[in-house]
Amino acid sequence: MSEPILIAQDLHKSYGEIKAVDGISLQVARGEVFGLLGPNGAGKTTTISMLTALLEPSSGKITVDGLDLKAHTSEVKAKMGLVPQEMALYMTLSARQNLMFFGRIYGLKGKELRQRVDEVLEMIGLTERADHAVEKYSGGMKRRVNIGAGLLHKPDILFLDEPTVGVDPQSRNAIFESVEALNRAGMSVIYTTHYMEEAQRLCHRVAIVDEGKLIAQDTPMALIRSLGGGVVMLGVAEGAPDDLTERIAQVPAVKSVTRSDGQLKIETQRLQEGLMGVLDITNQLDLRVTSLEILEPNLESVFLNLTGKKLRQ
Amino acid sequence: MNALDVAFKDLLLLLKDRGQILLLFLMPIVFILAFSAAFSASEALEEQIIVVPVVNLDPGGEMSALLLQNLNDDRGLQTEDYDQTQAETDLQDETIKLALIIPAGFSADVQAGTQTTLRLMYGSAASSSEVQAVRLVVEGVASDLSLETQLVSGLSQMGAMMSDAPPEAQILTTERIKDQAESQFERAKTAPLVALSAKWPDQILMGQEDFSPSTFSVAGFAVMFAFLTAQATATSIFDEKKEGTFRRLLAAPLGKWELLGGKMLPNFAVAILQMVIIFAASMVLLPLIGMDAPSLGNSPLGLILIAILVALCSTSLGILLAALCRTESQVGGVSSVVLWVAGLVGGAFIPAFVLGDFLNTIGKVVPHYWALQAYNDLTIRGLGVADILPELGILAGFAVVFSVIGLLRFKFD
Repeated sequence: MSEPILIAQDLHKSYGEIKAVDGISLQVARGEVFGLLGPNGAGKTTTISMLTALLEPSSGKITVDGLDLKAHTSEVKAKMGLVPQEMALYMTLSARQNLMFFGRIYGLKGKELRQRVDEVLEMIGLTERADHAVEKYSGGMKRRVNIGAGLLHKPDILFLDEPTVGVDPQSRNAIFESVEALNRAGMSVIYTTHYMEEAQRLCHRVAIVDEGKLIAQDTPMALIRSLGGGVVMLGVAEGAPDDLTERIAQVPAVKSVTRSDGQLKIETQRLQEGLMGVLDITNQLDLRVTSLEILEPNLESVFLNLTGKKLRQ
Repeated sequence: MNALDVAFKDLLLLLKDRGQILLLFLMPIVFILAFSAAFSASEALEEQIIVVPVVNLDPGGEMSALLLQNLNDDRGLQTEDYDQTQAETDLQDETIKLALIIPAGFSADVQAGTQTTLRLMYGSAASSSEVQAVRLVVEGVASDLSLETQLVSGLSQMGAMMSDAPPEAQILTTERIKDQAESQFERAKTAPLVALSAKWPDQILMGQEDFSPSTFSVAGFAVMFAFLTAQATATSIFDEKKEGTFRRLLAAPLGKWELLGGKMLPNFAVAILQMVIIFAASMVLLPLIGMDAPSLGNSPLGLILIAILVALCSTSLGILLAALCRTESQVGGVSSVVLWVAGLVGGAFIPAFVLGDFLNTIGKVVPHYWALQAYNDLTIRGLGVADILPELGILAGFAVVFSVIGLLRFKFD
């Protein structure tokens, strides 16, 4: 197995008393799309900033393609491409002028630069509008130029920080297809998002981040499977017998039962069978069900299960 | 080199901002034209003859005629005969601003040695400077007249006393003494022992007679507006941070100092170009409105060196502003106060020596002062590069201090 393209060991970043990143360690394999999934303020952008040498970690080590980031910063930066969350473009310049500038910054020159700019414009579907000022583009078009600027120098590893925020569905789909095409061509990608469906679609592995900590890391399927068949959140009226929890735990398809915020959180191995068993018990006891929520097995419910919070508040 | 790429990109952005270009290159020229015209008008005012209506209640009197003759004798006044009643009415109506009243019996009183008083009446329309000017001239003439009359009278009395002396002792007769005294008074008017020369101090120092306000104002505004590019440098950095492009550039294999150097370079070039355009445009435009073209002195190298150091100071100051201010609006606010006040105390609007000792001393802590001293040494005093080395050294020192503090305090995060 080849060495990972990126290794981050025990990264910490504090701002005074506030711990923005608290001991995150991860490895990204070559040719992998690695997702950082978490809500706003979880520490994803801070982690990306450290991995791309924008921020110095309070402690921890980062290695990219075998090179220590701190000791070989310039060399490592040449191997990385960043697509920031904000639209980091010069709005009064055209897409072509933006790409020409960023290409020069990464050392491309002359004919090679012009050819590469044309290729990227083709890739992002903006060849015909290339000479219009970016400020005249739609949000989706600007996002595409934003991505294009990160690809010019053919980086070994591309960091995409929430690339689909504020983007229309068509452009969003175009971005997904671009990421998949780049990955097929061999590029490693680190993709941060708070959209579960994006992580599920694009990422080979996902790290779930919350409050600066990495709380789970695995393939999307493995993370979802860890949830079992699904989670049932059950609310019952007052007067329920004390042994209700134990009774529900006896249902064969139920994995575990815990109390959570006045509700019963029932993790099942097989959702439908578990749900039928729980409802049988409530009928037998003549209990009034005040609320019933079924959390289908997906990364959103994995996150909720792990943190008690939703990905999107 | 990446710094050049960043600089070229910023120049491209500037070229697309027509409003900014007008502000950088047109506004200074408008200021210069306006200020030069104002300077010219005040010079014209100084050369103006003040017409003084005179109510002579002593017509035909020898002394009043002599007084009027002396007042009209190249002292900046011109008298005009006026009727008393008309004068009082016209003063009230503000048809005239002031009037001089020679009282009845003036000549007789002066010749008899009796004290008499001239009256200078003025209305609210008269400016204090006009009243002061007229008062000083009239007082001077009246004083001369008094002195001459009293001295001649005294000498005549002495001559009369000597008339009882033996003939061999009467060397100095009354007539001889009087003739001698009057001759001395005439010489005192045309070739005084003590004269007064009122000029700009620089003219006294180097003897140049043709001081041009336009030379001063062009240099002043060139320096002033070149330093305003400090705000452009700082704003450009804040714009990059706000747009997110600063972060993108930091993620690229571009050194931090290359990035800042790239931000400074275009504003450095703009500051120099601005100064060149200001001087060139002034040389063409000022004569078209009847004013003197500014002098460029005898040392083109000196002018170039000053321009380079002013531009360097300005861009370094821009980095310092970007480092110390937290927001773009702070940059605007601080720049407005600091740069315009620095221009004022540095002598960009009004010559430093006119500002008074206190402001003149304070002015020395701003780079504008030293830049203008250097420019004035070259263009007004006609000195050379060797003579302005101290000022150039101080400007370089300012650039170093601004750069060091700015780079130490600059936040790249």
